[in-house]
Amino acid sequence: MKRTLIILAVLIALFGAGAFTLAWSGIYNVAASTGHLAVTRWFLEFGMRNSVETHALGIEVPPLDDPSLFYRGLGHYQGGCAPCHGAPGEGRNPITRQMLPPPPYLANTIEHWSAAELFWIVKHGIKYAGMPAWVAQQRDDEVWAVVAFLQRLPEMEPEEYRRVSESQATSQIEGTPEERARLLAVAGSAGESLVACARCHGLRGAGGGEGGFPRLAGQSFEYLQHALESYAVGSRPSGIMQPVAAELSEAERRNIAEYYAGIEDAPYPPKPQVADRETLQQGAALVANGAPEQGVPACVTCHGPSAAVAPDPVYPSLVGQYAEYIALQLELWRSGKRGGGSYSEIMATIAEQLTDEQIRAVSLYYASLRPGEAPQAAAESLGERLDAPSVVPDDRN
Amino acid sequence: MKADKRHPITKAECPFGFRWPVAASLVTAFLLLTGCDGIQAALTPNSPGAERIAEIAWILFIGAAVIFIAVMALTLYAMIARPGRGGWIGSGALIIGGGLIFPVVTLSALLIYTLDAAGVMTAPAEGNPLRIEVIGHMWWWEVRYLDEDGNVAFVSANEVRVPVGRPVTAAVSTADVIHSFWVPNLAGKIDMIPGRVNDVTFQAEEPGTFRGQCAEYCGAQHAKMAFFVVAEEPERFARWFEHQSGPAREPQTPFITRGRDLFLSSGCGACHTVRGTPAAGRIGPDLTHVGSRVSIAAGILDNHIGTLEAWIANSQRIKPENRMPSFDVFEGEDLRAIAAYLESLK
Repeated sequence: MKRTLIILAVLIALFGAGAFTLAWSGIYNVAASTGHLAVTRWFLEFGMRNSVETHALGIEVPPLDDPSLFYRGLGHYQGGCAPCHGAPGEGRNPITRQMLPPPPYLANTIEHWSAAELFWIVKHGIKYAGMPAWVAQQRDDEVWAVVAFLQRLPEMEPEEYRRVSESQATSQIEGTPEERARLLAVAGSAGESLVACARCHGLRGAGGGEGGFPRLAGQSFEYLQHALESYAVGSRPSGIMQPVAAELSEAERRNIAEYYAGIEDAPYPPKPQVADRETLQQGAALVANGAPEQGVPACVTCHGPSAAVAPDPVYPSLVGQYAEYIALQLELWRSGKRGGGSYSEIMATIAEQLTDEQIRAVSLYYASLRPGEAPQAAAESLGERLDAPSVVPDDRN
Repeated sequence: MKADKRHPITKAECPFGFRWPVAASLVTAFLLLTGCDGIQAALTPNSPGAERIAEIAWILFIGAAVIFIAVMALTLYAMIARPGRGGWIGSGALIIGGGLIFPVVTLSALLIYTLDAAGVMTAPAEGNPLRIEVIGHMWWWEVRYLDEDGNVAFVSANEVRVPVGRPVTAAVSTADVIHSFWVPNLAGKIDMIPGRVNDVTFQAEEPGTFRGQCAEYCGAQHAKMAFFVVAEEPERFARWFEHQSGPAREPQTPFITRGRDLFLSSGCGACHTVRGTPAAGRIGPDLTHVGSRVSIAAGILDNHIGTLEAWIANSQRIKPENRMPSFDVFEGEDLRAIAAYLESLK
């Protein structure tokens, strides 16, 4: 027994030494150009597939049919994924095709994976394969958005892919190619970096993607710059926005913020269809008066519409903003994932108090407002504390 | 086995003699009692109700001391008495008399006596009391002053001003969890219970500043939920009352104007009221005359420009989890301007 163990130990040591010598000598060829032996490729893929399947066990798939998820996924796919994985009807990058392993053309391979497995791959990346992990690990919502898009990818003809990627923001709203060229020219020094922003937010900052992309037009320079800086330094986590913002120089971020802040005529989408009036009334009441018993102050003081005193421009205006975006941000605050620095900390203490119902009501109400329009539900004037009834019942006074 | 030979320590064995534990107890008691003197001290009462409480405390303290010494003396006697001498300690008469009749009589008498004292404190005040409402919040005190007709004249926070020599009736309630209103020199404890209004009456006899403290655990910052009661001469109080009923002072300098503008544009008015400005929030303390108060942040910081700045920028470090977010977003000069504005709201 003892003898067997000694022999075993010696063999293991010899094997280790051999492997080390092989690596040390440099005989093993790490060239991507030569590819793998068939058996090696099979083994690596076998290991990868089983690893993903095992690690994706227990991941619960949320509902993925919200169109804003699909569009957010699409917007990111075009900038973040398509350079390596290609897209329907678009030529593939010859450089990335020389990677080893070559990034698969996803439209052909996606159906081999379940939603949970895709989520795991997009979130965690794959070792030794060049597939990066998601930049903002806490933003599962963004990863699911990518999955929502990927699941629709295989069935997409080039024609449809082009149609959805253009209709999300840029072309449908901005009109003709001439109009686009004019806007890019107006943007001047911001023009070059504007292309990446406009892919989702539009050349006039109207946002879109069924609420997947927030409106930027109507925001102040201060707010937009603060948001871009927060993304660039990573204090506001987002796997979608961080890479875009970090790639720009500080001067470029400033130019972009100035450009979008200066746009006044961006078109609005149709108002959201809200079946029940109570929701809008509840939203209007929250915006105008807050919910003091819950510790929720009136939104209007900082976010409009028509606050009694013009708020600090660094506070975003929410009038006409997409409901999906407002609700998503409030949920991120509530779950402690929003980030964004000291200003964000202020909002976090408020958002924490909100119920699901209140988030829905306030988001839909803001989305249904348009600048200069009288608020739909007459908001009571801010109740003066002195109007509040005395706590002592009448018969005791 | 003889009890007298078995005593654990004799005078010869104890290096300091028998006196040192006695002396140490006396010194400790003295130190503890001197701790009971001051602005938050039940043993230096300044109102009839607090006097009754102090009286009860002394009676209980002295009575308990006498009984304790008597029982200890009997125990000691039982241990060292010569055999056959201590039999009377076990007699039926002493057991029934000292163990049954004495406690029943003493405790019944004390019960009647304390109930009588409690009745005095909760009885409606005679004459024309000043009426206030104190509402506990996590973790601060909202104080409303009622006028002669029972309407709210003005709202303040974390400070109760009362005239000397006039009864005050405080109707206490809560906006969230159970708190307890306690100003040891003057009144309380009286619990602030959700869905209930409790009354407590007190009357300050001498001018002075006294500290109150929440006396029912109410969350992480319970210890930092204090307030001050300022008792002053009736004329002074009347002037103060009139001034507090009015709107906030207008800024007098450009710097303070800048502070006011920043206060309003930064959204402070969503939670705080400053009467005479658009700020009309009802979540945090009314700040109309915040500069006139003894303390800020519910009795935990002195009130001046430095502490105001610290509180605005760092409220979550000073008092974690309180409702006020840290406004760690201002440039130094801006922060100072806002603090200067608040300080100017005398």
